[in-house]
Amino acid sequence: MPELERALVTLGQNLDYPATPNLSGAVARQLAEGHRPSRPLLRRRSLVVALAILAVAAGAAMAVPQARSTILEWFGVGGVTIRYVEELPEVPKASSELDLGDRVSLAEARRRADYDVLFPELEGLDRPRIYFRDPPAGGMVSYVYGSEAAPKLLIQQFAAGGVLKKLVAGATEVDFVSTRTGSGVWLRGQPHDLFFLDASGEDQYQAGRLVGNALVIEGRGVTYRIEADIERGEALRIAESLR
Amino acid sequence: MVGRPLSEAELVERAKHGDQDAYGELVHAYQGIAFRTAYLLTGNGADAEDAAQDAFVKAFYALSRFRAGAELRPWLLQIVANEARNRRRSAGRRVNLALRVEADPLSGGAAPSPEVNLLAGERQSALLAAVNALPEEQQQVVACRYLLELTEEETAVTLGLRRGTVKSRLSRGLARLREQLEVSDA
Repeated sequence: MPELERALVTLGQNLDYPATPNLSGAVARQLAEGHRPSRPLLRRRSLVVALAILAVAAGAAMAVPQARSTILEWFGVGGVTIRYVEELPEVPKASSELDLGDRVSLAEARRRADYDVLFPELEGLDRPRIYFRDPPAGGMVSYVYGSEAAPKLLIQQFAAGGVLKKLVAGATEVDFVSTRTGSGVWLRGQPHDLFFLDASGEDQYQAGRLVGNALVIEGRGVTYRIEADIERGEALRIAESLR
Repeated sequence: MVGRPLSEAELVERAKHGDQDAYGELVHAYQGIAFRTAYLLTGNGADAEDAAQDAFVKAFYALSRFRAGAELRPWLLQIVANEARNRRRSAGRRVNLALRVEADPLSGGAAPSPEVNLLAGERQSALLAAVNALPEEQQQVVACRYLLELTEEETAVTLGLRRGTVKSRLSRGLARLREQLEVSDA
């Protein structure tokens, strides 16, 4: 082992760790009391409702040939499931509350991400604030436009392992779309939440962010989410401009 | 008559069927490495204890998803790491590790002179400062691979990364450490 690596191993042996607590006793007590760790509220609450409505929605869509081919593609290839739920939780609005990670330059984001980071090259868009977060595995890059207190447009990209589940509130309209960046859905009307398996197969969850309208597309193993108070055509133009 | 101790695989199998005593033995065996992993990822003893404890409880209920024949240690550490990183993100702090005050930086052999000890101690302090200054994703792979002495594969599983990503982050992290140490030596 080279010198630096040996020095790091020695360093690890000399670190000032606090004394290891008696975890086995504490864990045994929790298990004996039947304590189960808390999971995201949305995931528990929505499961039954979501599955029931999914069956109805999928059945109705299968009756239309065009919709059937699109949905089969999503279910079979993209691995996408859309689930309707009755209600979504409140989400923070200010970008400082969005848990987007470190503020970085575009070059730094491209260096740190494990996939090709795209950037929207659409005339009229200001320079965004750029953030990088890991996890999800492979990293998530976010572009935030507008003021810190009230961001107007959020574009995010992250490596997704192919299984993507979206939870949308009941009033949301869902259209399937296709762009040069990938295929996806346009969600309009109510916020949505997103579950996906990241590049390492780890379950990840993200709440809806800004306003109801969002374009979520998946291409070459990367998921892109564009959220803003804009209409479908504008969102698609932004997606098409990703280079 | 005293029976032979149960193997890890047997303990896992019993725990899968709800045997909390068997699971307690597994927790006891891995609580040290779990706590140290959580500490390196949170930088805080209380958060590390909470993270490791919650992780062991979650792991018990998730045991049905543990594949027979797989390595238990990285599977457990992955759950610990997830809990730890969630807490670190919530707290929004950087990890700032410290050396033991009484640390003997040289191990084995005859007792070194005070001057040699001082020099080695200064080198360790410089190396630790460089580790503390690494970008988060490089710091985490360096911590798992070298400070905790996990294998490359275990590091990948623990941090939920592909093995190639671990290699590239280690390579970038080590290069950065070398640069930092050259600066501090100059």
